[in-house]
Amino acid sequence: MLIMWRRCGQSFIVGEGVQIEVLESRANRVKLGIVAPDNVPIVRTEARLTREENLAAALSAGHDMIQTLLRSLPAGAPRA
Amino acid sequence: MSRIPTKFFGECDCEAGSLFSFPSGLPGFEDQSSFFFLKIPGAEPLLFLQSVSTRNLCFILLPILVVDPNYVLELAPDELADLQLPLDRTPTIGQDILCAATISCGDGEAPRANLMAPIVVNLQAKIGMQVIKGESGYSHRHPLRSEGALLPC
Repeated sequence: MLIMWRRCGQSFIVGEGVQIEVLESRANRVKLGIVAPDNVPIVRTEARLTREENLAAALSAGHDMIQTLLRSLPAGAPRA
Repeated sequence: MSRIPTKFFGECDCEAGSLFSFPSGLPGFEDQSSFFFLKIPGAEPLLFLQSVSTRNLCFILLPILVVDPNYVLELAPDELADLQLPLDRTPTIGQDILCAATISCGDGEAPRANLMAPIVVNLQAKIGMQVIKGESGYSHRHPLRSEGALLPC
């Protein structure tokens, strides 16, 4: 992993045409400004991971998995 | 009472009360805005989130407190507003809201739960969303364990 220090107002460039600037820095969060071509998708990491996990969940949901889960999980668990 | 086709249970009698609107869909399924929550006798504690428009789309869920009895859900003001929940108090799981995790499984892997992004629905307003809590510290691939042993899949 490449690590670098940046101050507010400083920026860096990724590949061709992607520029990321530190706009504001607080105790435990930073505000970033991103300039990128329209064809470069920008998505929060956790949103991408959730999308991938949802696709995997939809694909893997089957009768086998239901049976596996029911064999292994205690019934009468807390309410949702 | 209407009958809808489901992925796992043939045609189900679904009460209007179990129909939930997901205005933004789910990540990866943004065009799916209506789901039925199915509770199947004998399949507790599993829940099933069945798409109304796509028969072959049904998520298997577990109530979040089944996966982690100590789970803490913190909803931001904009998430409370999206769910049409009061902003001045914390909603109670099982009373105001239903909170459940999607379950998935890779080939030969143990089933896992997405605790980072639970499905949350307002039981009164019948509106739901997947809240993505990237800063919560919970894993999007939390392994399900049974009496200490990993479940085979």
